[in-house]
Amino acid sequence: MHEGVAAYVLGVLDEEEVEEFERHLDTCARCQAELKEMADIPSRLDDLKHSAAASEDDPPPMSMSR
Amino acid sequence: MCPVLGHLTGRLESADIDAEHRIAVLYQEFGGPLLRHVRKSTGNDLQWAEDVVQETLVRAWRHSARLQWEPSLIWAWLLTVARRIVIDGRRRKSVRPHEVEPPEVDMLAVPDSSERALSAIVVAEALRSLSEEHREVIEQTYLRDRTISEAAEILGIPPGTVKSRLYYGIRALRVLLQDKGVAG
Repeated sequence: MHEGVAAYVLGVLDEEEVEEFERHLDTCARCQAELKEMADIPSRLDDLKHSAAASEDDPPPMSMSR
Repeated sequence: MCPVLGHLTGRLESADIDAEHRIAVLYQEFGGPLLRHVRKSTGNDLQWAEDVVQETLVRAWRHSARLQWEPSLIWAWLLTVARRIVIDGRRRKSVRPHEVEPPEVDMLAVPDSSERALSAIVVAEALRSLSEEHREVIEQTYLRDRTISEAAEILGIPPGTVKSRLYYGIRALRVLLQDKGVAG
């Protein structure tokens, strides 16, 4: 369950999974600590996403995948 | 009025005042920073960003137990709530392509654009230093606006594996960004 914190922070969980994870988060000090640590990561990734995806019709954000 | 009902009404009213007070405090504490933060992910669409902030604070108010948390944890949680609202909105817009218009370019409102461009280079570099497995799941989920389940299907691996790799990948990314001085 703890590993869900990254997916939760990034907002890539399904709706039911979000609810499930939040119930866990309410009582898990470890996940609360990791949530705080990871909170800034999505905006850093956004910097990349927005700078690379200036044109809306071509969403793949970077060309590093083979 | 019967005494029981009178008592109940009184309690409800004070609960409402309490709720109003809490939401006002939320706006005061988090409204400004949250709006600045959300604007970055709405492509500087101010109206959309304001709606997102409002919806975020309403949802926060509905989970008032979490508002007892320490401020830095509340903030981290509010960011996740706001992010989901933005992602949902973006998904809705993308299924109605006629509504996708280029965001208005407002140079005055984006004074940090060169800072962001610099950050983008650092983040791209950090991603390249990750293992293939870690980079792949970050790319196939967040960077392409896909959920864990969708990415799992595309990558042909179980959702639990995507989730787990994402966790270790994000932790590794955070350490790299910290070393480069762009993450807290």
